[in-house]
Amino acid sequence: MGNYEIALCLGVVAPLFMFAVLAFVGHRIGKPTSGWVAVLGVLISLGCATYVLTGWLSATDKAALMATTGYDWVVLNLFGNEMPIEFKVKLDGLTVMMYFMVTLVSTCIFVFSIGYMAGHSDEVDGQCKFHRFFCYLSLFEFSMLGLLISSSIFFLFVFWELVGLCSYLLIGFYFDKKFASNAAMKAFITNRVGDFGFLLGLMLVFVFLQTFDLDQAAATFRNQYETQSGIFAADIDILGWHVSGMDLATLMGIGLFCGAMGKSAQFPLHVWLPDAMAGPTPVSALIHAATMVAAGVYLVARVFRLLTPDAQFFIAVIGCITLTITALIAIVQIDIKKVLAYSTLSQLGYMIFGMGVGAWPAALFHLITHAFFKAMMFLGSGQVIEGCHHVQDMRKMGGLRKKMPVTCWTFLIGVAAIAGVGIPGAHIGLGGYFSKDEVLAVAYERAYNWEDRFGGHAAEGGHREGDAHSAAPALRSGQVIFASGGEHADSHADAGHGGGHHDDPVLAGIAAKQHKIPKWMFWLPIIIAYVTPFYMMRCWWMTFMGKPRDEEVHHHAHESPLMWAPLIVLAAGTLISSFYMFRPELGEAAAHATQAPLVVSVDGEVPNKAQHELLGLSHDKDKDPHAALIGIVGFAWVAGIGLAILIYRNGLDLAERIRRLPLIRFFHWCLMEKLFFDHIYDTVLVGGTKWVLAQVSRAVDTYIIDGIANLLGRSTVRIAEFSGNIMDTGGVDGLVDAIGESTQGVGEMVRQPQTGKIRNYIMFGTAGAVLVLAAMIAVVLS
Amino acid sequence: MFEIGLTHYLVVATLLFVMGIYVMMTKRNAIGILIGVEMVLNGANINLVAFNRYNGMSGIDGQITSLFVIVLAAAEAALAVAICMNFYKNLNTVDVDHGDTLAG
Repeated sequence: MGNYEIALCLGVVAPLFMFAVLAFVGHRIGKPTSGWVAVLGVLISLGCATYVLTGWLSATDKAALMATTGYDWVVLNLFGNEMPIEFKVKLDGLTVMMYFMVTLVSTCIFVFSIGYMAGHSDEVDGQCKFHRFFCYLSLFEFSMLGLLISSSIFFLFVFWELVGLCSYLLIGFYFDKKFASNAAMKAFITNRVGDFGFLLGLMLVFVFLQTFDLDQAAATFRNQYETQSGIFAADIDILGWHVSGMDLATLMGIGLFCGAMGKSAQFPLHVWLPDAMAGPTPVSALIHAATMVAAGVYLVARVFRLLTPDAQFFIAVIGCITLTITALIAIVQIDIKKVLAYSTLSQLGYMIFGMGVGAWPAALFHLITHAFFKAMMFLGSGQVIEGCHHVQDMRKMGGLRKKMPVTCWTFLIGVAAIAGVGIPGAHIGLGGYFSKDEVLAVAYERAYNWEDRFGGHAAEGGHREGDAHSAAPALRSGQVIFASGGEHADSHADAGHGGGHHDDPVLAGIAAKQHKIPKWMFWLPIIIAYVTPFYMMRCWWMTFMGKPRDEEVHHHAHESPLMWAPLIVLAAGTLISSFYMFRPELGEAAAHATQAPLVVSVDGEVPNKAQHELLGLSHDKDKDPHAALIGIVGFAWVAGIGLAILIYRNGLDLAERIRRLPLIRFFHWCLMEKLFFDHIYDTVLVGGTKWVLAQVSRAVDTYIIDGIANLLGRSTVRIAEFSGNIMDTGGVDGLVDAIGESTQGVGEMVRQPQTGKIRNYIMFGTAGAVLVLAAMIAVVLS
Repeated sequence: MFEIGLTHYLVVATLLFVMGIYVMMTKRNAIGILIGVEMVLNGANINLVAFNRYNGMSGIDGQITSLFVIVLAAAEAALAVAICMNFYKNLNTVDVDHGDTLAG
């Protein structure tokens, strides 16, 4: 085992150790100290993460680092085939970056939590549960890091369930409050729905690919596609529905994605995330904004190589729907945490959408920047909520910028990052300006330029063999990276990638199957890019600017250093991660992680010059999709933020007037009701389940329970009859009676001589004597 | 005349014994039964003395034993009379046939 593997494992185990300490002796450690114990655990993880990250960035031979040692956890014997489930540390660019991001964000949040919980926020049922909170947080940290280093999809699933459990425990932290325990159950049950699909996907992987190891599974998958064996040779009829091999592979991908749908709260399973805000705010920041919900995106990134074009399209559609509806709902929310929850959903939608359209590095880039700025904003909202004594209604806030300067300005950085503030063309911007742009650029390519690039080639088939630039290694492995708009097959002779995939029949097949995406799937995210700055600025302005609307709330407001220091760290993280901090690494990770037979990974922009030249691609600025996007969406943040300021500049009156306009009132009502998802689920699913359960339990009750009871009753009567009439009366009583009667009979018999007449006795005695004498004489004589 | 021998005594004793038994069996008067008992005992005494005399035994073991029996009979008579008294006191009669109240 190499040093880096040991460091990664140590970083995973340290929070687990702290969890054990806090679980067993936490109540003795006391209030502030137990928090610092948890922080110590996560600091160890952060140290390990930093060590691995620096090692990774400076390493020259990354392939050697990635070859980690595996240990057989269990060896299954299936129909004579030995199938080991290996415990192995996954060590690649994706893991290293995610690991570092998670540990850094959690360290900030752990420290913040000590400040947040210092007041009365740790009281559950009137008791101080400070250590329990940090105990759960440590367990979560362990599970999340374990999830990141799992090389086997099986262990990934185990940790997947563990983070789900921690989420449940922490949402329901205030379990004495009905809404919190309900929200915890809702989150858990909704996740079960997704995990059911995940399990089905796992079963398909297990049955057809015969391995749980991610790399091996991907290799097998590719091999099976090339030889049209295994899962692709499957030909199944399910209830009269014919499923071909390709469809089955699609189902496998969708099944695995179902897990991500649950965890990353994608439509239609998005309903649990807003309710999950019932947990303490640091939990919302850690689990429901930065890490756990991003695990869904991480999962898709990991199983990217097992996806078929149809599965990818499905993912893109789901992401597109999610990002649209949740952003719209976010506009009308008045609870500061709910706004952030819906904006998280929307950004997760962007990531999933990015994955779906093939923008693997872009989606992960967005994941990392989003994790920093969203965690920061959630912590800011926690600061506000704690400072205002648990007031979450933004209508009661306002004017807090003087009372909470650090929170105010870090929050504004977050708003700018999510809104994608930047100066187009100058490479100056924040967070979303780069990461969302990447996603949108790929979507643009897929929606408008796709057939020019690939459709034509596929139609031509493999005519143009032996193209000059076919040696590009990345292309051989099935990945197509192309410069931003620099490659149009019909306009350029040096069609490097074109040649690449003509050489590769597999790739030619894929290109034919990877269709253009519908245009609405490009335009919806564009529209939402205008909506996002609006609702985020609205949230910030309502909270921090203007005049105080509630004197009492404003009077109490304060900041504490334990709470604003992490905010500054995260703000710095936002700024750094925005400026391509992980950008080259992501490009590199993409090369390894997406060597897929069926997936065309599209990179909006080739990250570094060297790789660019390696591919032999020219960088044509004019055909840059980014350049095209500048006109469409480059100034979206100006429009959104401007509109928000315009409306909320003078308090809430103007907004209220707009709300009352006839058509808007209807839309507002729909959005306030969260587009009726909760109502529909409540009526159809919960009500339906209850109805079905009622019918089933009634049937069970009437026919089975009652039947059994009746059967038991009847058989008891029968047995009683048998026992009473035959055994008891005939047997036991008969025996007793017989004994009694015979005793009586004997008594009656022997009573006869007992006449009480003394003369009779004398006669009997004499007769007896005579008999004895006679016998003696008889004996003597004989 | 013939010599009186052991047989004669035994015959007398047997008669006396059998008569005593007969009296005991037939008499309903308690005093009568007592008399029958005395007759049986005396029949036995005659046997004892006769065997001592004729069976060549030296000494007077038989006579001594019969004296014991006489003393025993006297004691027994005293007890029996007392029983009769109580019998009479309880049942107002000495007819032993009435003393069957314990009969089942």
